[in-house]
Amino acid sequence: MHFFEFTEEQKMLRKAIREFVEAEVAPKAAEWDEQDACPVDLMKKMGELGINGIFVPEQYGGAGQGFVARAICLEEISRHSAGLGIAMMTHHMGPYPILLFGTDEQKKKYLPDLCSGKKLGGLAVTEPGGGSDFSGQKTSGEKKDGGWVLNGRKCFITNSHIADVTVLTAKTGVDDKGRNKLSAFIIEKGTKGFEPGRKEHKLGLRGSVTGDVVLTDVKLPEDALLGKEGGGAKIGMEAIGEVGRAGMSAICVGILRGCVEEAVKFANERIVYGKPIAKLQAIQLEVAKIRADYEAARLLTYYAAGLKDAGIPCANEVATAKYFSTETAVASSKRLMDLMGGYGVINEYPVGRFLRDALASIPSGGTSHIMQIIMAANTLSGFQA
Amino acid sequence: MSKIWVHAEVVDDKIVNVAFELLSKAHDLAEAMGGGTEVEATLVGSGLEKEAARLAEWGAKTIYLADDPDLRMYSPLTFVPILAELAAKHQPDIYLFGATATGSALGPAVAARLKTGTAAHCVDLRINEEKKLVSLVPSFGGKVIGEILCPGKNPQMASVKPGIFTKKDPIPVPVQIEKLDSSMWKKLDTQGLKPVNVVRRPPQGLPLNEADVVVCGGFGIGTKENWQLVEKLAQYLGGATACTRPAVDEGWSGEYCMVGTSGQSIRPKVYIGFGISGATHHICGMNESGVVINVNRDAEAPIFEVSDVRIVSDVNSILPLLVEAVKPKASW
Amino acid sequence: MAYNVVVCVKPVPDPKHYDKVTIDPVKKTITRAGIPTLVNPVDKSAIELALQLREYYGGGVAVVSMAPPNADEILREVLAMGADEAYLLSDRAFGGADTLATSYTLYHGIKKIEAAKGYAFDFVLCGSESADGATAQVSSQLGEWLGYPHLWNVYELEKTPGKDEAFSMKTKMENGYMEWAGRTPLVLGVAREIRKPRFISVMGIMKAKSKPLTVWGRGDLPAAEDTYLGLKGSPTQPGEIFSPDLKRSGELFTGTPEEIVGRVVTVLRANGVVVGG
Repeated sequence: MHFFEFTEEQKMLRKAIREFVEAEVAPKAAEWDEQDACPVDLMKKMGELGINGIFVPEQYGGAGQGFVARAICLEEISRHSAGLGIAMMTHHMGPYPILLFGTDEQKKKYLPDLCSGKKLGGLAVTEPGGGSDFSGQKTSGEKKDGGWVLNGRKCFITNSHIADVTVLTAKTGVDDKGRNKLSAFIIEKGTKGFEPGRKEHKLGLRGSVTGDVVLTDVKLPEDALLGKEGGGAKIGMEAIGEVGRAGMSAICVGILRGCVEEAVKFANERIVYGKPIAKLQAIQLEVAKIRADYEAARLLTYYAAGLKDAGIPCANEVATAKYFSTETAVASSKRLMDLMGGYGVINEYPVGRFLRDALASIPSGGTSHIMQIIMAANTLSGFQA
Repeated sequence: MSKIWVHAEVVDDKIVNVAFELLSKAHDLAEAMGGGTEVEATLVGSGLEKEAARLAEWGAKTIYLADDPDLRMYSPLTFVPILAELAAKHQPDIYLFGATATGSALGPAVAARLKTGTAAHCVDLRINEEKKLVSLVPSFGGKVIGEILCPGKNPQMASVKPGIFTKKDPIPVPVQIEKLDSSMWKKLDTQGLKPVNVVRRPPQGLPLNEADVVVCGGFGIGTKENWQLVEKLAQYLGGATACTRPAVDEGWSGEYCMVGTSGQSIRPKVYIGFGISGATHHICGMNESGVVINVNRDAEAPIFEVSDVRIVSDVNSILPLLVEAVKPKASW
Repeated sequence: MAYNVVVCVKPVPDPKHYDKVTIDPVKKTITRAGIPTLVNPVDKSAIELALQLREYYGGGVAVVSMAPPNADEILREVLAMGADEAYLLSDRAFGGADTLATSYTLYHGIKKIEAAKGYAFDFVLCGSESADGATAQVSSQLGEWLGYPHLWNVYELEKTPGKDEAFSMKTKMENGYMEWAGRTPLVLGVAREIRKPRFISVMGIMKAKSKPLTVWGRGDLPAAEDTYLGLKGSPTQPGEIFSPDLKRSGELFTGTPEEIVGRVVTVLRANGVVVGG
């Protein structure tokens, strides 16, 4: 077998992104968290580095890399700011469905600006009725005067207030069995009747904007339809299933690396009874667990990303990685907090933020329960070793 | 007979302090070399005859003076060939430069012309058993000190930052100036580069390396307002302000008063530091200070290892009080 | 008019980790294990200046480094930043060089590039100093070998309008600065203030794969003389190395802030400082 190792270019990419993140993200991460401020200008600047269009082919202005490279970027960003991590990972869910399902005109119109950083992307699927009840969504799309009229409300939408180009699903009819038919649309910021609504006050992943988008008689031209009429469920599921969840997984790998590095730093610097606590076996055992969580989450995440790059269906592997990375990020940041004693709850240390970000990562892109259901279905329907 | 040369740098038509510090050290080295080793000086500038006499006060036996309005400002196209030609002719054993902005450019260029070796930013100089110069040079931000020798070539050259050596008492000798003939520089082609102007920003209080009291602010002061308190404290104590790299990066202070391997070296009688972590490169620039007082809320901060007085406390609870305590009383 | 620029770069151990540098007590060598290598930080400012000159006026940006063979990785990074081509001067014969021998080797490398290109560089740029050795001597000595005017600690460079080869420059001085008027060719040791280096982009990394990276050894520089190369050509020789012992045994002042301040004032007075006068 081949053992897992990044290519020379991926190693260079990691070094370059790390350098950027250490200079531009790390010093401000705590402030973004505290003020719940999204660094929109910085996100746009990241387009120049190729992060915004990392998996988009060069012909559309992207960096021409894949999902392993994307995971590297998200891990590096989220090592210091998971809030910025989810904002960037959600941006990717704008260009991704356009790249996969868009017409040539749509690709040429939207992708270059979404890659360069001129515009930011987003995906709006979830509704007040719940994100997991995917086909039960109520936002409606009616065909009228050779175009579309959309009405409804989406909630828990990341980048709700900052996305320039949003891919959105709406019910455009019912099939002969009475089930909702969903279609996907591309909506630009400033379209009449399309407004961001309330902004959520989140426990974690602060520094990313999450809120409602409201559609009131939004008139869209015919060519705003993305993919086939009635093809919205597939588009939404694919974007969330293989890009959104993979992104959350990589973000939590970043948080876990933060846990490892902060644990090392604290254990070596904190002196108790005249020696660093790193010399105490009780501490060593906890550090080992944190390290194991990081290594395992990392392998699952990059394995799933590698499958995606190879064009192999990977919904189950992504669900596994997402489940494992988010849950261990919670467990290990709690572990780190315990290890740090009183310092663990002082906000000058990032560990409290790690824990809050990890907790907020669990519902993003589907809860652990949903991930388990996917994994169980895949296992029970035909597990093969 | 052996000779040790010191190049005396001129700023605003005055010889700078580091020249006298180097002359004092040169005498120690001359004594260690023995055999009547002489100390001499080189001086380049305009209208400097009176200034040149000051070098004799600090024991420069012969002063080689290139004096010309054309030489008022430093240029590598004039100073380098003049000094290199002079050194080639008189063959000094050792040639010392101040590691100032000008000296750091001039010294190595003269060494390259003479195809000899030079040691940069030395923290000490001594003479070994073979009567050769040993220069102690910091690297890795001061974490390592290495000896540099130049066994096979003369002059053995070195540059030393201002403030490393002490300017000792004068040891006057009769003034003996050897004025150099202008043909030495009139022949030079200087078309490629011309100095236009020297602009001095008004120094903020005392020059840092001449102050008896230095108040230093680091990253831990936290705010620009606290930096202003640092300045006020320095002013009240009749001293100067200093800072570390993070305080420059935060925009509180300027590079002009940065202390450390990439800034200035200081040796005040009293150093008071606030919020200084104590990175090696800063410590190397201040550890020659007399009494070192530090305030840092981190008891494990490395700066405390080089402090005579350790105050483990938040800057905000000490700095404003101290400023108030040392405030000059109204005279009425 | 377009300008051709060559930038000298040096791979250095990451300055963030210099506290980890130790001295092997037996072998008396410097141990820097586990410290990552990167492009000397201020050299990146020099590269940025070169890239901006190219973007504004046209021309080419070459990079040259004298370093061990594994420095090719660092040079790839510089190519990813945007330089057009890189040259690595690497040979045992170049090893152990002091600044005089280093600048001599760079000089011959630059001359060889110029011969291959058929033109002379307008600017030879260096960072003002390296993070590890910090001698700050190479730019001045390289200027002397090349026979070009050289300046150190340059923090501003501006083209003089109407004259292709004329530039004005500012160099940092104690408490101020110095203004200069020069014309190309010039050798400049630049300060980090001259330009903020750009970050490497993914696109840059991909382009760098196909950019030329040439490695030259002793045999490729036939014009260089052995007497000036490497350890043998270095007039300075290293002696002992050691870690400075800087420790002081400090007294801990405790009590209320008022009590502490009172004791500090006493210490100040005891050391001859006029307090409250």
